[in-house]
Amino acid sequence: MAQSLTHGETALPADWRDLFALTKPRVMSLVVFTALCGLLAAPGHVPPVLAFSSILAIALGAGASGALNQWYEAGLDAKMKRTAGRPLPAGRLDPQTALQFGVGLAAFSLFLMLFASNWQATLLLAASILFYVFVYTMWLKPRTPQNIVIGGAAGAFPPLIGWVAATGSIAPLPVLLFLLIFLWTPPHFWALALFMRSDYAAAGIPMMPVVAGEKSTRRQILVYALIMAVAAIAPWPLGYTGALYGWTAVVLSAVFVLLSVQVGTRTTGEGDLMQPEKRLFAYSIAYLFILFGAVVADHWWPL
Amino acid sequence: MTEETPNEPFDEVEYRRRQRSRANLMAWMLGALAILFFFITIAKMQIFS
Repeated sequence: MAQSLTHGETALPADWRDLFALTKPRVMSLVVFTALCGLLAAPGHVPPVLAFSSILAIALGAGASGALNQWYEAGLDAKMKRTAGRPLPAGRLDPQTALQFGVGLAAFSLFLMLFASNWQATLLLAASILFYVFVYTMWLKPRTPQNIVIGGAAGAFPPLIGWVAATGSIAPLPVLLFLLIFLWTPPHFWALALFMRSDYAAAGIPMMPVVAGEKSTRRQILVYALIMAVAAIAPWPLGYTGALYGWTAVVLSAVFVLLSVQVGTRTTGEGDLMQPEKRLFAYSIAYLFILFGAVVADHWWPL
Repeated sequence: MTEETPNEPFDEVEYRRRQRSRANLMAWMLGALAILFFFITIAKMQIFS
């Protein structure tokens, strides 16, 4: 049981750094970037202050989701080496403060989005927060190895919200970008789960390598990588993007599939350093950053 | 989740430091939000006019 910073009836106020850590800043950076790309790739002009406020609202919404996720999973986090140092399992923050912070931040993010943008984007932001907290964190994650597959939808919302914040409506390109992140999530997280398997097993989280075994996980990483590559390239032949994005997607997706083939076709023994899995995980992050950057570059400077 | 540790001496210096740092941060954030909301209002007025 974690020990909190309490002295009798008086609790120390939470340090702001711990509240900041509760928002999962590293995850937030990818959310902010993909949302910004969705917004910048949308047609029309958005005043910079409204664009900034919409992205800030999405970032705060993502931070709220992360805080509520950590509040709910504090017990599980304490069992995993990777997460044991987080503010709640380490006892630097009390759960009540984390819950109030998460709910307050979520409410404020929705208010800011409504004030700066439109009700359509606000509705999507609310749906993404509720989906991440209730459907992914509370329902799917502790119950099924498909948690990442369906839960990936929560992380796929930002570019869609960014686009809708700019235009007020949904279009095929942001839906394809949604699909791209949705299909990218399983190979990304299963690569992580392969080299963090013992951690997930210790916490009793039914991640794919723990439940279905390594061989099945590796095969599924390869299958999802292939489908994801098709989804990544699709906007080009469908006419929603130009050659700049198209060739970037072709080259980057080919490398992604090659790395996935390495992971998907190998077997490991005792003491394996899991280098191909770590390489795929690291590459998958760069892949998404560059591909979304290419969507914006293609929109602003078409070949 | 919490365990009381009544025998530990209460660290009032740390208590005040955290209270002050949170209050300062809150003041800066409220000020920034006031400015942000002002500019959002101006931008919206320009869109609708």
